[in-house]
This record gives sequence, C-alpha cells and structure tokens, in this order.
Amino acid sequence: MSVESWVITTDEKQVGGMVAAARHLGGPVTAVVVGNRALVDAVAATGPDAVRWVSTAPDVPPEAYAAAVADLAAADLAVADLAAADLAVADLAAADLAVADLAAADLAVADLAAADPPRVLVCSTEPAARVLLGAVAARIGAAVVPGMLDLAASDGDVVVTRAALGGEVIETLVTGGPVATVFVGEDVESGAPDAVDVVEQAAIAADARIEGTEPVGSATGVADAARVVSFGRGVRAKADVALIRQLADVLGAELACSMPIADDLGWLEKERYVGRSGQHIAPRLYLAVGIGGAPQHLEGVRDAKVVAAVNNDPDARIFRSVDYGIVGDLYEVVPALIDALGR
Amino acid sequence: MKVVIVYTWARDGANAAVRADGTVDWRGAKMTAGEDDPAALAVAKRLAEDTGGTVVGLTIGDGDASWVLARGVGEAFSVTDVPPYADNAATARVIAAAVERIGAVDVVVMGDSKQDPGVAPAVAGHLGWTALAGLDSASAVDGRVAAVRRSATEQQTISAAPPLVLGVAAEADVDTKPGMKELLAARKRPLTTWPMGDLVDPGDDVRSTGTRKPDVVAATLFDGDPATSAAQLVAALRADGVL
Repeated sequence: MSVESWVITTDEKQVGGMVAAARHLGGPVTAVVVGNRALVDAVAATGPDAVRWVSTAPDVPPEAYAAAVADLAAADLAVADLAAADLAVADLAAADLAVADLAAADLAVADLAAADPPRVLVCSTEPAARVLLGAVAARIGAAVVPGMLDLAASDGDVVVTRAALGGEVIETLVTGGPVATVFVGEDVESGAPDAVDVVEQAAIAADARIEGTEPVGSATGVADAARVVSFGRGVRAKADVALIRQLADVLGAELACSMPIADDLGWLEKERYVGRSGQHIAPRLYLAVGIGGAPQHLEGVRDAKVVAAVNNDPDARIFRSVDYGIVGDLYEVVPALIDALGR
Repeated sequence: MKVVIVYTWARDGANAAVRADGTVDWRGAKMTAGEDDPAALAVAKRLAEDTGGTVVGLTIGDGDASWVLARGVGEAFSVTDVPPYADNAATARVIAAAVERIGAVDVVVMGDSKQDPGVAPAVAGHLGWTALAGLDSASAVDGRVAAVRRSATEQQTISAAPPLVLGVAAEADVDTKPGMKELLAARKRPLTTWPMGDLVDPGDDVRSTGTRKPDVVAATLFDGDPATSAAQLVAALRADGVL
C-alpha cells in the first residue's frame, strides 16, 4: 500500500528532515510550499517527488492561505472519490450512464494525473506552517500528532514515533486514518536530487496582511557565531559574568545565556538568550556553563555541531544532551579552561 | 468583539512520572492552566477592552473551571468529561464545537502550547477560520486584530479580520495569583457545564502502543580535578575540529 504524504512548509527549516521522515512511508512525497520562489528552489533541493507551490504576496502572511491549501487537499479527495466512482462504473459495463458524462469525468481525472489525497501531513513547529497543517488536517479529517520524530507504514496503518512529555519519553502511535504530524526530529542534508516538477497553484488569501516588520534590539552576532559560550543560574553574581566573558574571549566565542539570566536578572541583553522563545542557533561549538539543561533551552541549540557543558551536578539534565561534559564547580573549571586554552 | 479565552485544556507534563521502564504514570495529573494561559488571557482581555466587547471562558476536562473566573472573566463554559487525547485534532474538535455552541464569537484566544502545538491550529481548521500562532500580544484596531509575533531577530505585526483563532506563546510566566476577594467573586460568576456528548463526537483517539525512554547517547564526562578535566575537554574539542 502506498502512503502519500505532504510536507507543508513556509520556510526552509527542517525540510530535509521532514522529507526524509516522509520517505519512510514508501509512498510519494509532495512538498506543499507556501512562500516565494527562492523557498520553492530550496525545498525542491531536499528531494521531494513533486512540489505544489502557493505563491505569497510580500505583505500577506502564509497563514492567510490556509483555507486555499486545505482546498487543494479537498480537491484531491474529490478526485479520489471520482476515480472510485469510475471504477465502479467500469465494473458495471452495461450500466445506462451517459457516455459523454463518463468521458468527461475520465478527462477530469486524467487532467489531475494520479492525484491522491494525502494520508500523512508533516510540518515543522513554525507557527505559520502549523496553521496550514491544522487547516488541511481538519479538511481531510486527520488526527494531529505533535512531536513527530519518524514515520513508518505497517499493514495499512501509519506508525508515528514521537517525543512526548518534553522529550522525557518516546511514544509509538498507530492510526488507520489520515494523520497530520508536527516534526521535531533532526534535520537531514540531502544529496543533489533529480529535477522536480513544480506546479504553481492558484490561491486566494484570507483577509490578513503584514503591517510591519522590525528588527528586535541590536544585532549581537550570537545568531551566526561559530562558537558560543553560554551561562545560566550556576553563575552566582552579575560580577562573575566577567569570568565567563573571559572564557568566551579566549575561545573567540560569542557570549550567550539561558532565559532567566536575560529575562529575570537582566545580566545580558535579551537578544543573547538561547532557547524556545530566544535564539535558535547552530554554532560549531556550544559550551554551556552552569546551565541545568531545560528542554526549552536545549531547543535553541538543537542544531549545534558539538555541545559541551560544565555543571557541578553529575545528574544534571544537560549531561543527557551533550557530547562532552565536565563535572565540577564552574568557578574552578572555567579558570582551568581559560588556562588550558591558552596553552 | 466577543472573545473566548480557552484555558486549562491540557495536562501538565510536569505532573507525570516516568517509570524506570519508560511507562508514564499520569495518576493525579488533572488538566491545569498551561504556561501560556495567563498570556492568552491578557490578550483576550485586551481585545475586549479595545472594542468594548466581552470575554467568556471555555475550559474542557477535569481542571479548575474557576481559574479564569478568579481572574476577572465574568462567565465561563466547561465541557466536563473530555479525556486527555493524544490526538490534538480530537481536543480541537471539542473546543471548536463548544465555540460554535457559545455562538457569535469573533475571536478565540488560547495558549499556543509547546506540548500540544497542533490544538490551536486545528481549532481554526475545524471552525474554518484564519489562525495566527506563536503570538506575543494582540490589540484591536478598527474592527481588526493587530497581532504581534516576535522571533529572536524581528518583530512582525499582522493585521487580520475576524473571525480568528489566536495562539499566544508566553515568553515568561506572567500569571498573577488571585487574592481571596477574587476567589470569592469567582464563586458567584456563572459557569455553564456541558457534557461532551451534547456537543460533538470527537472520534477515536490515535492508538498508543507504548512509551519508552529515549536512547541516550552517553556524553563523555570528565570528572577529575579541574585542571585535568579542562585539559581533557580542550583536547577532545581540538580533536573534533571545533576549536
């Protein structure tokens, strides 16, 4: 059984990972792109079988096209119904049906090629992409499952492996019907794919417009830094930030922090905090000093190449998510690191 | 505008215990106000204030239905017997059906939950309304909603016409615990309860075949004296080519 999937996307994040997960279903993978041509090209490069493109006006948010994207899925559903009806008619060869009507119906089916309604939908955690997913899911009667890590097809069922309880457990869910999933797994880089057909879809936007976009605060360099040293509540006083800054300087790293440091204590600018609602960064090295390792924080460094941590608690949650760790008092370890790096 | 604030619609994962074998013990974990609920309530109140409108509360399940009544909302509705679904669409179907029953609603505001990020979008899908998620704040201007979304680098303002579903993501916990006066006032405010069966059949939940603990790729930990550990870490990072 072939399980068709749609990867619904409004930006480039995680597209390679989403297409790779959808590939595990064994059926055709269609990328539904709501955005500009540059995004279409980037998504096509991740290797879907086809791309359906809803072009957005510059001042219209992708969410405004939610109903239009749902209409695409609904149209596919109608085509599938039509194909089934035609099959039934073919079985009843002697049926007194108007031949012209049947021919017209066949033409309509042929025009839309082998369009099947998607059985599985995939999107990232991006708000706009989730809104599109929600609209399509409601239209095709799909379940909606967050935290998806991987997909599989088994005996006509779709098997969703997902992170639950903030990643504390991995849960396996099975459904015999359509399912829409929010992907939180690893991104995957794909090789150069074959040329992909891009079909632009006509779409009418709902009444919504982008009134303005402003940069937030000052540019800090954290977003693009190759190396980042970040600290949390393990640092006891504002004066001690100088010690962490010294380590960052020796490493040629940008200085960052966990949310409470910027939000509650105000020891660094808000633009420097890393986590769910802060910076999402992908440095080659992320060194976390005195950070407990809450899931909200780690979400911001999911794409870092190497993560290291310093914490005095050997059971600290952060040690479950790092490549390297030093168990020890940061007030002793950081000076030792500065010394070791200077050699 | 008539604004519905949807609150206390999910269980808090922090109240669940994960056993050694990876199974989850949800005993005693009732639905609770999520970390985004206070921020969502603030948005709902702002929209009503800006337009001389009203806010009504909507909750599902076994949580504290008075949560919103003790925070200045004059009336609330509760769909009492809704179980915690793994399927966000099932939760959304119940919420959407209740919003339709409340009637003449312009805007639905709810937390854009990290745990259940499909619920607010699916509520909009089931209502056939436009949704905006990941919002920081919103106000009403000339009968439209001006919603603000912040990322780490930019702030975007989107203007949209009702009917709308707004998913609000809290940057930080902004809840203010009500005092005794508010708690007593809440008891006198009308709370209408509906059994789920009167509203909607949410369908079958997706089937869970079990939970397990994630595979942990063991970190290389250095726990010797600080100087030795520091030297070991620097050597490892150099070997990885990240220094």
